Amino acid sequence: MSTLTLRLRSPLSQRIDMSPFTPELVAGRQADEVARILLWLGNRQVDAGELFAINGNSTEQIVIQSDSDRLDRIGADMSGGSIRVEGNAGAYLGCGMRDGAIHVSGDVGLAAGCAMRGGRLALDGNAGDFLGGALPGERQGMRGGSIVVKGSAGDRAGDSMRRGMILIAGDCGDYSASRMVAGTMVVLGQCGAHTGTAMRRGSLILTNAPKSLPVTFNDNGRHNLNFLTLLSRGFKDLPAFASLADKGNLVQRWLGDLSCGGKGEILITTPDLA
Amino acid sequence: MLIKLEGGRIYDPANNINGEIGDLYVRDNEIVAAPGDNETVHRTYALAGKIVMAGAIDLHTHIGGGKVNIARTMLPEDQRGNVMAKGGLTRSGGGHAAPSTLAAGYRYAEMGYTSCFEPAVLPANARQAHMEMADTPMIDTGGYAMLGNDDLLLQLIADGAEQQTVNDYVAWTLQATQCIGIKVVNPGGINAFKFNQRALDVDDAHPHYRITPREIVSKLSRALYELNVPHPLHVHASNLGVPGNYLSTLATMEAAEGLPIHLTHIQFHSYGTEGDRKFSSSAAVIAEAVNRQANVSIDVGQIMFGQTVTVSGDTMAQHANHNHAHPHKWTCMDIECEAGCGVVPFRYRDKNFVNALQWAIGLELFLMVDDPWRVFLTTDHPNGAPFTSYPHLIRLLMDRSFRNDLLGEINPDAASASHLGSLQREYSLYEIAIMTRAAPARILGLTDRGHLAPGALADITVYHQHEDPEQMFANPMLVFKAGDLVVEEGRISKPVKGTTQVVRPEYDPAIEKEIGRWFERYHSISLHNFGISDDEMAEGIGSRVTVHPCREGRP
Repeated sequence: MSTLTLRLRSPLSQRIDMSPFTPELVAGRQADEVARILLWLGNRQVDAGELFAINGNSTEQIVIQSDSDRLDRIGADMSGGSIRVEGNAGAYLGCGMRDGAIHVSGDVGLAAGCAMRGGRLALDGNAGDFLGGALPGERQGMRGGSIVVKGSAGDRAGDSMRRGMILIAGDCGDYSASRMVAGTMVVLGQCGAHTGTAMRRGSLILTNAPKSLPVTFNDNGRHNLNFLTLLSRGFKDLPAFASLADKGNLVQRWLGDLSCGGKGEILITTPDLA
Repeated sequence: MLIKLEGGRIYDPANNINGEIGDLYVRDNEIVAAPGDNETVHRTYALAGKIVMAGAIDLHTHIGGGKVNIARTMLPEDQRGNVMAKGGLTRSGGGHAAPSTLAAGYRYAEMGYTSCFEPAVLPANARQAHMEMADTPMIDTGGYAMLGNDDLLLQLIADGAEQQTVNDYVAWTLQATQCIGIKVVNPGGINAFKFNQRALDVDDAHPHYRITPREIVSKLSRALYELNVPHPLHVHASNLGVPGNYLSTLATMEAAEGLPIHLTHIQFHSYGTEGDRKFSSSAAVIAEAVNRQANVSIDVGQIMFGQTVTVSGDTMAQHANHNHAHPHKWTCMDIECEAGCGVVPFRYRDKNFVNALQWAIGLELFLMVDDPWRVFLTTDHPNGAPFTSYPHLIRLLMDRSFRNDLLGEINPDAASASHLGSLQREYSLYEIAIMTRAAPARILGLTDRGHLAPGALADITVYHQHEDPEQMFANPMLVFKAGDLVVEEGRISKPVKGTTQVVRPEYDPAIEKEIGRWFERYHSISLHNFGISDDEMAEGIGSRVTVHPCREGRP
């Protein structure tokens, strides 16, 4: 399988919308044709070739090499193939994507996986705020697919999430799973304040109890939930998350947010006292 | 600069010119008589085979004011899904149902419109409305101030104030808000909603003030008549959207007591209760009433299938409809206790019985009202559909077979419940020119536009002759705004700014004392800061004022 490679020539003065470079949009185009795609750089349009050294043939896989955090909307709305980012990515990575895979070796900015409907997002570094969140003004965020973060996420991870799965190996900022409608989010590190605020349904699985939960969450007691075995079995290809299986199935279950229905659950794994 | 438009086919109903081939001359911003032989024509446009009309006028389109901005904010997907990048001459914008100011101005001009009127300027929001309209490029604008749900007027009427006092208050409102007309929305009903009332028919007493919508309409229409304001009272009648509301509509016409009255988006007010679903067309009854009463004019508020957003001051009706919101989000709010506002996004579906019948009712009204001088082409943008559907609507009116084809596609029960299929009428270009140019200018008292006689403002639209009226009206060949060539082949060629159209009837300034006391006691700002001056319009808000004369002579 050949690859189309875009290497950023020099640091950027402005943010760039990278959504024209998805496998289906560049399919069948030679490198020199891809180099003539017009991009907005501030208030003027430039050829992609001016900003990137472009090599290879357009195929199923696109590789973006950049240290810049200004490449926004990489893989936005993509519906197949794969994108590998060697370095960092900007905001709205994989925004609205339907299928395919995006892998980023570095850190990503705001709203990665925002409004995502399917496909896989794998981040080796850290994610910014609103991971898997909603487009501005929308009431529902991520609607399908999976996001796996090896590092940490910012505030509002899983905000307004509707369906799908988010796995975070590191820590989360404040307001994790806020306004969550449904779906599953797992955090192995520490969550910040106001976790689960305005959560309507959905499951947030934690291995460390947050310092506090909103007062609108009620303790639902300890439960032995066998589905956790099934869930963690699904992570066997993800070494960072294999440890979840070691935690056992005993969880402290909190229900909330009572201010908006109270059907959401926060499951906090606890040492097996038996 | 002298321009000659040579050999076009001219449709100028105000001057009884029906498709005659002739020349027009434009000097600077005015149409002028043919110059002498010794004068140099600087530019000649050869328009053989082209259609020439005055610039179109939309007398009812929600393009400014608080509620449109709420709709824009509420529907980010409408902006995101319809992005308009900046061009060489134009700035960026977007939106389909609730377009940004820039997108609205450009698109209106690209369709040959040169003047548009915002029908719901809340006095307390007038500044905001004028700012938005000033930011809408290409077109001249104007607004109708909303009265009839404000506590001051209701209190005055309840206290039995003399007509003269109401007249002074109306005239003061026009001056303070820089408006060209007065609109009443669900007379008394928006106010009654705040007293927990969920319906208020024409002869129902307001729960607090004990006055009826009939009295409000009567007082206000008389006030405008006695003040010699050209545009009659612009009425959004009671019971919008409620099956059986045609009776309220007929009663509202009566309430004007023979004085001029304009009933707006009457399609939403022409529903009966016949049939299995207790929802039927009463277009025939309404059209007959309009045909019979020369004091009544209407605009239709045609609906078109697809996504739009309904924005209205009628909190009562919007609250009743909120369950139909699509996408499911909506708002209703009170604004400064003067009136209300409701924003409910909506998708009209052609397979839905009610929506399909609404579509047919609008077209029935167009086709059954005989006098094109008293029926205006509107979709109540964006309530029935965005204004960008006007060319499609014109085709529906001009092309019977096209209309019947579409009738075959809508909900079959609705199609068979409607008389539309039996209506033979096809509008002519002359009649389209009446209802989109000459008649709106006449009913608004705009003597300087809507026609092509010497002395008129050089707002001119030139169309290619085309089999398909939709194509023809969507992409004019040339549009002149005040003598400037602003659109070529349906694309902006020169961005310009319009002015704000107002009328200034005289009033006894003593009324300001009474209003001042009211402001002092109840209002959020002082009277002194309320009114908008001409200087503020020109320098702060950014749109100069054009004052149009009132009718002459006392009635």
